[in-house]
Amino acid sequence: MDTAVAPTAGSARHAREDSRYRWRSAASQGLIYAILILLLALTFAPLIYLVILSLKDNGQIYGRFWALPNPVRWANFATALQVIVRPMINSIITTVSSTAGTLLFASMAGYAFARRRFPGKELIYTAILALLMIPPILTLIPAYVLIYNFNMQNTYWALILPWMSGGQVFALLLCRSFFATLPEEFFDAARIDGASEFASFIRIAMPLSIPILVTVAVVRLVTTYNQFMWPLVVISSPSRQVVAVALTQFTSEIGITDIGPQMAAYILASVPLIVIFSLGMKQYVQGITAGGLKA
Amino acid sequence: MVSLMKIFPRWRRTFLLLTCLLLGVALVASLAAASASAQTGGISTEVVTGGWVQAASVTANGSHIVIGARDNIVRVVDAAGQPLWEFTAANSILGVDTTSDGAWTVVASEDRNVYLLDAGGAAQWQYRAGQAMNGSQYPAYGSIVAATSDDRSFYVLDGSGNLVWREVLGIDVRAVAIYGTGERARVVTGSDDGYVTIYNRDGGTLLTSRLDYDVQSLAVTANGRWIVAGTSDGLVSLVDGSNGRVVWGYKAGGEVTSVAMTADAKTILAGSRDKKAYLLDGDGKLLQTFPMQSEVLATAISGDGAVLVIGSANNRAVLIDRHAAEASHTQAQARGRLINSILLASLIVIIAAAVVYLHRTPTGRRVWRQGTVRPRGLLRSMWRERIAYLMIFPTLALLLTFNYYPAFSGLFHAFTEWSPGVRTEWVGFANFKFLLTDRFFLSSFRNTVILVIVAILKTLTMPLLVAELIFAIRHNKARYWLRTLFIVPLILPLVVEILLWNNMYDPTIGLFNQTLIALGRADWTRAWYGDERLALGSIIFIGFPWVSAFALLVFYGGLISISEEIFDASKVDGASGFRRFLHIDLPMLIGQIKLLLILNFINAVQTFELIYLTTGGGPGSATYTPALELYYQAMRMHKMGVASAIGMVLFVIIMAGTIVNMRFMRSSIEYEA
Repeated sequence: MDTAVAPTAGSARHAREDSRYRWRSAASQGLIYAILILLLALTFAPLIYLVILSLKDNGQIYGRFWALPNPVRWANFATALQVIVRPMINSIITTVSSTAGTLLFASMAGYAFARRRFPGKELIYTAILALLMIPPILTLIPAYVLIYNFNMQNTYWALILPWMSGGQVFALLLCRSFFATLPEEFFDAARIDGASEFASFIRIAMPLSIPILVTVAVVRLVTTYNQFMWPLVVISSPSRQVVAVALTQFTSEIGITDIGPQMAAYILASVPLIVIFSLGMKQYVQGITAGGLKA
Repeated sequence: MVSLMKIFPRWRRTFLLLTCLLLGVALVASLAAASASAQTGGISTEVVTGGWVQAASVTANGSHIVIGARDNIVRVVDAAGQPLWEFTAANSILGVDTTSDGAWTVVASEDRNVYLLDAGGAAQWQYRAGQAMNGSQYPAYGSIVAATSDDRSFYVLDGSGNLVWREVLGIDVRAVAIYGTGERARVVTGSDDGYVTIYNRDGGTLLTSRLDYDVQSLAVTANGRWIVAGTSDGLVSLVDGSNGRVVWGYKAGGEVTSVAMTADAKTILAGSRDKKAYLLDGDGKLLQTFPMQSEVLATAISGDGAVLVIGSANNRAVLIDRHAAEASHTQAQARGRLINSILLASLIVIIAAAVVYLHRTPTGRRVWRQGTVRPRGLLRSMWRERIAYLMIFPTLALLLTFNYYPAFSGLFHAFTEWSPGVRTEWVGFANFKFLLTDRFFLSSFRNTVILVIVAILKTLTMPLLVAELIFAIRHNKARYWLRTLFIVPLILPLVVEILLWNNMYDPTIGLFNQTLIALGRADWTRAWYGDERLALGSIIFIGFPWVSAFALLVFYGGLISISEEIFDASKVDGASGFRRFLHIDLPMLIGQIKLLLILNFINAVQTFELIYLTTGGGPGSATYTPALELYYQAMRMHKMGVASAIGMVLFVIIMAGTIVNMRFMRSSIEYEA
């Protein structure tokens, strides 16, 4: 074993050991690739199946299940788009505006918590962190009643405000720790120039914190876009429903029983996430690992 | 960087504090609710009979109320409950109906007769059927009588008591209603096969509509536009009389025995075996519930909706003047506001108490001393830092409204019978007692245990394996690409993944059954979600091979951050492969494992989408989860109190699980810090 890991050049015995080690290592690398590729194939099989189904019509699906789409039904996507364009717009409006609100308010609060010293600071901060212990299922029904009492059911506000609020804790955690790392000198310089606290937040802290804000934004966009139970409860009007719920009400409410367009709609519903991930995968990974470990 | 590990001591105190807070709020709120619910005013009149009240009817203006009971007596009283006249049949009264002016009353009795009574209670004629009559109707302005009988048929008689036609259904029928007059009179019946049928005067079928369960009761507007039906599954359905379509359904807590509707179809009163009568508006929205001492068997409502009659199995009919009832409703709302403000006030008191408490702890005192010396100094420094308070204000306001308030409201209402906007009544532990007898909830617990264990196993095996394998790859580019490819499935919204697997499990065109057929094992094909023994397993299998991108990222990130030196040192010590994994990787990844344990535990306890979108809890109660039962209780049964109780149970479980997890993993935390 020792000789295998620390071969010394020159000796024939060592050379032989070295080559055997290499062979073994090549074999184990091959095995690793084989396992990973098998798992990848299994992971991707449903995705490929989804794409194939989305290009068939009902006749092709029921009649020739194993055949590839022939002719390819691109029209399925047009049909699907007609049906889910409205929910997609609803989703985008609510997701983007709630994320924007989360970013604005959480960065403001994060700045105050990181750079100001005020009575009750740690107490309030702990009280906010304690919300991490409250599972969404506990607040679901009372929050629904609250929205109902505000007469906000079936409006965008019913989604935007709670989501804006729901993202605060996570965003605040990241923002506070980020702002705390900014060197004090920047702010001293601004103060000497006579900038107000708010101005130095907008002019100095915000531009410097774009990376962390993008991270928060990506995580929040993905999380809210995937939300299902809350919109299901507070939105009943199809014209305001978000895409995650609308997809499940496809056949019943919109009257499509064709599987092809249904699958096409599933793919179209993924497009916003594809866009987010292709632009911000790195930030997403950072966000969930950092947020996860801190929370 | 503040990490959770470092704020641990503070966290433990937070738990303690939180528990105290909960207890405090519950206590204060219970006192408030108890004192508030003591003052419920009497706005109703009771008519006491010698037997169950099984039938009721009221004139258009509410001046005459007809009550039929099991003691064979039909009592007619005025709005104040004063008796006007009585009629005695030979057996129990099962159906009464009076014309809108009270000039005629038709009575169906278990003595097999239908009687037509005049304004003074004298029988004009009677018609005898082969078996007990169980329901009867007379149109608003006379001319025909329709009656249902236990002989599974119904009879249509003319104004003089001659049989016009009889329809033998061969299935139990006990709901009948009439609209229109003269030649244009129509008879609507509802039978045990769920059919609501409209006949013309000569017995021709005009329209049928199918409900899911036995129709127990019917009411129809004078123009026939709207039909309301109560069924044995507890649903009150509004049917459009022109096309037979169901417009809406309202779910009561038990079999709907009786329904009544105003002339304009804007108000509906339904009685149910769950000992409640429900007042609904024309859109199926609950206006008010009337809890009774026992099962509600008969309801009636005057044409203008001002007078309500609720007859129940405790030998009483309750007459309610709705104008008075509305006044009490406003009172109840005021009470609700009072409770809310007490709740808010107690919250403030508790937070203040927490401040004092924290002030007495060493850290708190240090903060106190750092901030200021005296209260006056405190105020001054608070004023100096007003910009900071201003900056945290939006966040605080949002969190207080949408997170803190609902959390406390949920904990409080778990102990109440909660009909938002209508009434809130403190019921102590009744909701929890109910849950102990709810087979869906009990079965959901077994499923939750399974789901939690499976979720944890799934996350701790496949993603860790894949992370280790990717980490072991030497080729940099290959490593990068493999990692990226494994994360790609994140682009599918969660809902889409579930729906896609639903399609794969489809009994006819699903991938699994098609594959089995292609392999020549057609006998192995299954209705995967339909089989009680397979349903949960099928749901668990969703997402195979379970390489969760999230867990993979967390583990991979952890492996990368282990310093190269440790691996080198282990190499020198001769640890490789599995031994290195066991003695180096696992201990170094304990933080990640702990995180994923907590997150998966929390998520699995709250499992909703996965069940809601696949089996909906079925078959039977095989795949119920508590979150699903919570959703059904709240959104379908409108039992917000019971739903809140489920929420509280889940909260306690999650909290306990998290604390255990933190305690259990304590040693590793210090190791990492």
